[in-house]
Amino acid sequence: MEELLKIENLQVSFSTEEGPVEALDGVELTIRQGTFHGLIGETGCGKSVTGQAILGLLDNNARIRGGRILYREKDLLKLSSRQMGRTIRGKEIAMIFQDPGSSLNPLFTIKNQIEEAICMFRKVPREKREGLILEALKQVKLPDAENLMYRYPHQLSGGMKQRVMIAMMLACRPQLLIADEPTTALDVSIQAQFIKVLKELKDNLNLTILYITHDLAVISELCDYVSVMYAGRIVEDLSMRDLFKNPRHPYTTKLVNSVLGANTTLDQLEEIPGSVPRLINPPKGCRFHPRCEEAIAVCNREVPLLKEVKADHSVACHRR
Amino acid sequence: MSSTLMEVRNLKKHFPSPAGPVKAVDGINLKIEQGKSFGLVGESGCGKSTLIRVMLKLLEPTEGEIIFQGQDITKYGFREMRSLRKEMGMVFQDPHLALNPKMTVFDIISRPLKIHGLARKKGELMVQVVELMQAMGLQTEHMIRFPHELSGGQKQRIGVARAMAVEPKIIFLDEPTSALDVSVQTKILKLLEQARRERDLTFFYISHDINLIRVVADIMGVMYLGKIVEMGPKALLLKDPHHPYTRGLFAAVPEPDPDIIISEIQLTGEVPSPVNPPPGCNFNPRCPHVMDRCRKEEPEFKELSDGRSVACHLY
Repeated sequence: MEELLKIENLQVSFSTEEGPVEALDGVELTIRQGTFHGLIGETGCGKSVTGQAILGLLDNNARIRGGRILYREKDLLKLSSRQMGRTIRGKEIAMIFQDPGSSLNPLFTIKNQIEEAICMFRKVPREKREGLILEALKQVKLPDAENLMYRYPHQLSGGMKQRVMIAMMLACRPQLLIADEPTTALDVSIQAQFIKVLKELKDNLNLTILYITHDLAVISELCDYVSVMYAGRIVEDLSMRDLFKNPRHPYTTKLVNSVLGANTTLDQLEEIPGSVPRLINPPKGCRFHPRCEEAIAVCNREVPLLKEVKADHSVACHRR
Repeated sequence: MSSTLMEVRNLKKHFPSPAGPVKAVDGINLKIEQGKSFGLVGESGCGKSTLIRVMLKLLEPTEGEIIFQGQDITKYGFREMRSLRKEMGMVFQDPHLALNPKMTVFDIISRPLKIHGLARKKGELMVQVVELMQAMGLQTEHMIRFPHELSGGQKQRIGVARAMAVEPKIIFLDEPTSALDVSVQTKILKLLEQARRERDLTFFYISHDINLIRVVADIMGVMYLGKIVEMGPKALLLKDPHHPYTRGLFAAVPEPDPDIIISEIQLTGEVPSPVNPPPGCNFNPRCPHVMDRCRKEEPEFKELSDGRSVACHLY
């Protein structure tokens, strides 16, 4: 399968009052056309920063210290912000955020907002726009689209708003969708409907998604490949099946065993001692070594690199 | 045979609003057994947080009775409640907001002891705080720290230590792990369970996370639009959920094992507004088994022969 996006050795730091925070330290990521790629990790591991870096949406105090983000072999980091806005953002790569309520403008109807998105990148005659809007709303299975498009965001529920966001995205026909915790604000029954919509879009439109989440259970429903992130680095890259059946990195293993599932009991759950390190002064060598039971002397000195253990499975660990 | 510690009968809490009363809690009946762990699940807005606030008498109930250790506390005023407060603890959802940022960990944990006059001298307080911190797996040198110097998991453990300080009979836990990462969630859950066994505590969990309730609860209740639709021993509900909402809710939970294929979605549509709930059974507009009767007549919450209770015309 063709590589759509490839991130090489991406390094991002934020300047803060306490000193530089190395949020991303050599992130490597490859997303293939037509796949759903999960990026998982705990709070503060840099997963959202990775998503923002791809679209050039980093905060003002961020500095990209190195690396490349190749989209169809073109380095996005070399584009000006004007070029990003005109040719990439929204048009080729789109993003949906955690809180659908704050992503929509409360003063305009759904129709206005989708229409604006359509006209950003394409010349569509006025009489054809409504058809496109309806088509997009129907693709995300919103009921009664004809009336719904005249409503305002406050008249819709969270789940519906999140689907409107996707409809808006689809109307611009992007190649890659970055979804940053899109279901965290939704209830389980609404989340299940949302996941179903995404799955159908994958089958029908050959959409590629980078799905950023901390929820491993959602990953298992949706994704083909997964990258596991810890303290600003990718520690393991593997297929979704291997994530649950054959994880190799000690962090991934612990993480998978701490997830609550249908048949888990309290005794089976594993705990990871300590807590996630602060990135102001991260541990030397492997950043997981202070919490790792298998750590040896070398883990404290050298940064482990991602190495392939078998096809589609790479691990960054000195012990593997 | 365990005894009933707390009981709620036909409890209602309606909030006035311009559009009519919001029926946040609308006729709840439940019993909490001494030493057991009760887990209540429900989606956002179903009234579960309001329910525990009413049970703790932080909000006045509109109707119904609250019975704690055989006494009807529904009509108790502020003074009478004050002596009962030490029997009931609470752990809040967001540990970052639940601790006073200007107080040290020692002050936070010892405050309830001082308020209830359980220990007055600094030495006595110190002994108890150390014991509580050790029980929660906290390093005692953190006693002089402030909340912002600690991680989320440590803060939540301080929240639990504070709730346990006055040796309550029952602790209410409002989504105790939802603000925490999975890697620290396990530790809290294990510490809670250990404390419950050692101190013979009763827990009342509420959460939107069905997987959490599955792991921690002995008795499980499912709430929908201000009412409990099904309640019973956990194993019974998990093996064979009866109420169509319970079934749909369980089926909607994403499963972290790729070998378990989750069944087709059963819950369509959205939760109706509690201002103007549908007539008859609340759940009828979303129910796949809806009958004429469901639209007219509200189902009774009745106990079945296997020990569970369910509010549905099918049973």
